Amino acid sequence: MRARGIGQSSNFFSHYARQLGTLSGLLGLCVVLWAATPFFLTVSNLLNVAEQAAIIAIVAVGMTFVIITGGIDLSVGSVLAFAGVVMAEALHRDVPVPLALAVALGTGLFCGLVNGALITLGRLPPFIATLGMMSVARGTALMFTEGRPVSGFSGGFRSLATGEVLGLPISVVIMVGVYVLAHVVLTRTKLGRYTYAIGGNEEAALLSGVNVKLYKAAVYGISGMLSGLAAVLLTARLNSAQPIAGMMYELDAIAATVIGGTSLLGGEGTVVGTLIGALIMAVLRNGLNILGVSSFVQQVVIGSVIITAVLIDMWLKRRAG
Amino acid sequence: MKKGLVLLLLAALSLSLTNCQRGGEQAGGGRQRIALVMKTANNPFFIEMQKGAEEAAKRLNVELVVQAAEREVDVEKQMQIVENLIQTHVAALCVTPSGSREIVPAIDKANKANIPVVIVDTRVDAKALADSGGRVATFIGSDNYEGGKVAGEFLAKHLNGKGKVAVLEGIPGHETGDSRLRGFRDALKATPGIEIVASQTANWERDQGFNVFQNILQSHPDVSAVFACSDLMALGAVEAIAAAKKTGQIAVVGFDALAEARDAIKQGSMVATVAQSPDRMGAMAVENAVKLLKGEQVQPEFVVPIKLVTKETLSEGGK
Repeated sequence: MRARGIGQSSNFFSHYARQLGTLSGLLGLCVVLWAATPFFLTVSNLLNVAEQAAIIAIVAVGMTFVIITGGIDLSVGSVLAFAGVVMAEALHRDVPVPLALAVALGTGLFCGLVNGALITLGRLPPFIATLGMMSVARGTALMFTEGRPVSGFSGGFRSLATGEVLGLPISVVIMVGVYVLAHVVLTRTKLGRYTYAIGGNEEAALLSGVNVKLYKAAVYGISGMLSGLAAVLLTARLNSAQPIAGMMYELDAIAATVIGGTSLLGGEGTVVGTLIGALIMAVLRNGLNILGVSSFVQQVVIGSVIITAVLIDMWLKRRAG
Repeated sequence: MKKGLVLLLLAALSLSLTNCQRGGEQAGGGRQRIALVMKTANNPFFIEMQKGAEEAAKRLNVELVVQAAEREVDVEKQMQIVENLIQTHVAALCVTPSGSREIVPAIDKANKANIPVVIVDTRVDAKALADSGGRVATFIGSDNYEGGKVAGEFLAKHLNGKGKVAVLEGIPGHETGDSRLRGFRDALKATPGIEIVASQTANWERDQGFNVFQNILQSHPDVSAVFACSDLMALGAVEAIAAAKKTGQIAVVGFDALAEARDAIKQGSMVATVAQSPDRMGAMAVENAVKLLKGEQVQPEFVVPIKLVTKETLSEGGK
């Protein structure tokens, strides 16, 4: 088995070496921005960046699980939009907030499990199954709302975006919670071990008695559910759920995952890396905005950073043998 | 890993303290900085707006920062841009909202930072703004309802009061498109001989205008006119009409009076468009932002005049 969870001490050093590589990339970026503008390294701006990173970062956790199994989930943005509008309709019908949140997570979970069923029972390649779901979920969201955003919610719901816990925005606290939980699941539980095992060598995992179908479907379910959670935060943030929300989020989530050192071939990766990847993207966007760089140049810079990060990662991997 | 994070936090804390001072110095000296956040920077309408704003900024000796999301519909990116600009302590903020309701939380944040907000082109949803208690200094834009009405009245006359009409809508929920649509429909109510047989969104985009109108032509081959809520969508429809070899048989009316649409009118592939003055809007946004910064009163609303552009007005040498 080629599984490389960070629980395995034999790969401990090469693993952390790469994490440190990504982390120093993030720190380097911060130093450059600090030198370039006085507005970057302030407490309020760092909190601002963390808040902006939270939504993609949460979606990227699910993406990391999926990519570690050797799959891909292109439907996250559409599922986010669908879960968002379903929850918004529920809120407009005076469903209590906790129940509405459950509706969002449940809708996401449902879409994810459908993906999982198509991939395991239907034997569709993940790319195709989730590409189909991307379109179905988006279309359903548009039909459900007749194309219009559903907006205006109670202060209680909005406090998910405006509230703070110990001086930290709630979305950031939730993001940290999701990462801690995901890290524990990946490194300390059966689900985590099997996620790596399936991505490392599915055949071998099957032969050693892993219920591959079950765990694979579960991983897509997690991805869908986290898209639902991201929908909650995005809806609270904009005070509106749009059926066209979350477009291209799949690409941002994949980018964060890949920058964080998760291999698209599966079998390796960490959520810590993904968090750093998501922060790198958010810091970059924030910094370029602050510096007044045009949106055209921003796209070039962000694309280049993704390519460079993966080039360095692959180079380190080759050196580590 | 943990060590790294702790170091990062320590570095952040210590540096932020020294940075407070640097920030203060920079904000104190030099010219005042005004930000213009547009829906997008790659649509001719907004390019014109940017030009107008830049000229006004030069004339009034203020620094202008122009930012836009990559995609016109990306309300979340626009919110991030506004948040990031608030961090740089811009003196005033001019925004063309990507979403009439979704912009409200961003306005709240600017209010909290005591940065005056000038809304350009697209109105903020009045109810959403009132609900949140947000404040907007002024609105500068066209009367889109009137524009749609003028287009509808023209089309009714052009078709001699009879015919089937298709409509290409903007993104649902955008105040500009919704108002144009309302105006257009209201104008046609007076002419019972004209029927709107199809009304679909092409999301403000040219390629979607092409596809959607091609599909409409399949289901309604007998449409005699199309009203598109923007010229880009109208130009997409023009191509779809050309592909169906029906150029000249279907009257196309657009909105925005882009240079390309004016050419299309001269050549006869479009019959009319409604002219807005995005450059004027951009300039007025900056002028009023500067006034606000001087503590002067500004009107709560400026309506930038619209006018119909047809072959006749173009041949008269009008723009």
